[in-house]
Amino acid sequence: MNTIVPAIGFGIVTASILAVAGVGFTLQFGVTNILNLAYGDIMTASAFVAYLVTNAGVSVWVALLAGAAFGSVFSVVLNRYLYTPFVRRGTRLFGMIIVTIAVSLILQNGLLAYFGANFFSLQMARPSSVHVLGMVFTTTQFAIIGIAIAAMLLVHLLLRYTKLGKAMRATATDPDLARNCGIATDRVIDLAWAISGALCGLAGVILVMNVTSFTDTTGSQFLIPIVAVAVLGGIGQPYGAMLGALVIGLASELAAAIFSPEYKDVVAFVILVIVLLARPQGILSEIATRKEVAA
Amino acid sequence: MSVAWQFYISTVLIYLGVDVMACWGLNLQFGVAGLVNFAFIIFQAAGAYTAAVLTLGAAKSASQGGFQQYIGGAHWPFPLPILAAGLVGGLLAAVIGSFAIRRLRSDYEAMVMLVVSLIATSVATNQVGLVNGPNGLALVPKPLSTIVNLTPIGYQWLFVGITAGVCLCVYWLVHVVTSSPLGRTLRAVRENEPAASALGKNVTGLRLLAFVAGGVIAGISGAILVEFISAWSPGSWLYPETFVYFTAVIVGGSGNNLGVMVGALLVPVAFLEATRFIPQFGPPGLIDALQWIVVGVLALVFLWFWPRGVIPERRRRFPPASPAGAGK
Repeated sequence: MNTIVPAIGFGIVTASILAVAGVGFTLQFGVTNILNLAYGDIMTASAFVAYLVTNAGVSVWVALLAGAAFGSVFSVVLNRYLYTPFVRRGTRLFGMIIVTIAVSLILQNGLLAYFGANFFSLQMARPSSVHVLGMVFTTTQFAIIGIAIAAMLLVHLLLRYTKLGKAMRATATDPDLARNCGIATDRVIDLAWAISGALCGLAGVILVMNVTSFTDTTGSQFLIPIVAVAVLGGIGQPYGAMLGALVIGLASELAAAIFSPEYKDVVAFVILVIVLLARPQGILSEIATRKEVAA
Repeated sequence: MSVAWQFYISTVLIYLGVDVMACWGLNLQFGVAGLVNFAFIIFQAAGAYTAAVLTLGAAKSASQGGFQQYIGGAHWPFPLPILAAGLVGGLLAAVIGSFAIRRLRSDYEAMVMLVVSLIATSVATNQVGLVNGPNGLALVPKPLSTIVNLTPIGYQWLFVGITAGVCLCVYWLVHVVTSSPLGRTLRAVRENEPAASALGKNVTGLRLLAFVAGGVIAGISGAILVEFISAWSPGSWLYPETFVYFTAVIVGGSGNNLGVMVGALLVPVAFLEATRFIPQFGPPGLIDALQWIVVGVLALVFLWFWPRGVIPERRRRFPPASPAGAGK
């Protein structure tokens, strides 16, 4: 018991980061149908932007915004000037995987070449620790949980109560029908990349706020759990992704506590493979049918 | 030719042989049968570990001077470890293929395979008793080195000969598969699965067959590689290595055995070897990072300008059905 309760605490923190990243991932994948494997590396790049900002002596809160802004702009540019042209040229699903992995390798190794193979950490005030119900959180971790809840609320309000949210849901469900109904799907797709990119950048910064140091591979190592979250929740289903984040966050931290830390990621891997093979439309899905995910 | 040059050229030739074999194997799966095997490198790794363990002999405990632990050590004579490596590669492909080959969208299939590759790396790294964990296996004896009495450079050329021989066998295998009715059926499955299935072809069985054949070839290529470099660790088979092979297949021309051979010559060999001649600059690791960037850019450029590769797959034409069959 004395390892399980703190593990639940870690699980909640991991789930918060995963929720932000996973909702961003699933929004973009649902609307644009591109499995963007460079997502993790955009997270790393945003973290490096935050690192540069905090190194300039600016507070970590500004760095958070800078990271989110960078993620947003980078994602829109990446889509508009690389991914969309490839799709227009007729690159098919598998080809797009190669394109996104190429971008991932270029980005990751570009960061490695520029910043060097070192360990980096954000300049922050030393957090103090707080005990809640046998779980220990640092104040930073409280902030991470708060940021995640705020981000999820914003996404919820956006999707439910704005016209843009409605247009995004419509585009995700059936792009052709949405276009025929007069929705400017191109603009919706741009905005989906912008919102997804902002969440991606935010997730990158809170991910490195939670660890003592990060490298050029920190984000890409987090990619598979993020994809697992998105797939478990059903692609294009933000609420599913939130639930998926909770499941995977808790399951991986509990596995780390009960078995061994090495199996932390394996849990997410195994969940992802099982869901993809057994129920690729996700646990909560009503929209994505079997037909869409079959070849 | 000076001895140093001979060493260098023979080494490059052996790497080329290994990469050509691996690309043929991947082409059989991806180019011919349309299977997106992003775990390709683990079949090469499985073959390499098998060959290494079967050449090293029984593992010694630390008190006997052993420094690495692994299971199933044996001292098999030369060609047997390589054959066993092919067998293990094929068996692993049969196991993974039997649960992973489904009617899944190809990007999802790539994702499943990518995760399989990561799980394999994680298991091989963390289960130290299996194949010595992160340190990997080292000091694998070279084949025939105790029997033949050659100078080091003579042995290099002998190894080039062995690699070339194995390459020929592998080429024969892929040629038989791709030029036979079986190859035609596999391409039909790739192009239009429902149609192939409607004509009574066992689609899943055929795809599994191509997957296993590719696994056998990957295993053999891994065995040749490990017998040559005599060391193997999880660092040698991370998932981006599969990306290099995919780039080679795309650059060369997927679906075309000759094109894929050219791809293997261009990408893993020419591109990655040529950088040896660039004088070292910058901090350590910089050149490696730049190499990966170049491979990524190369993949993008080819997908944009020449998505069918340098030597595209031949468009096959068949004579129209004979009038006798067409109607009365």
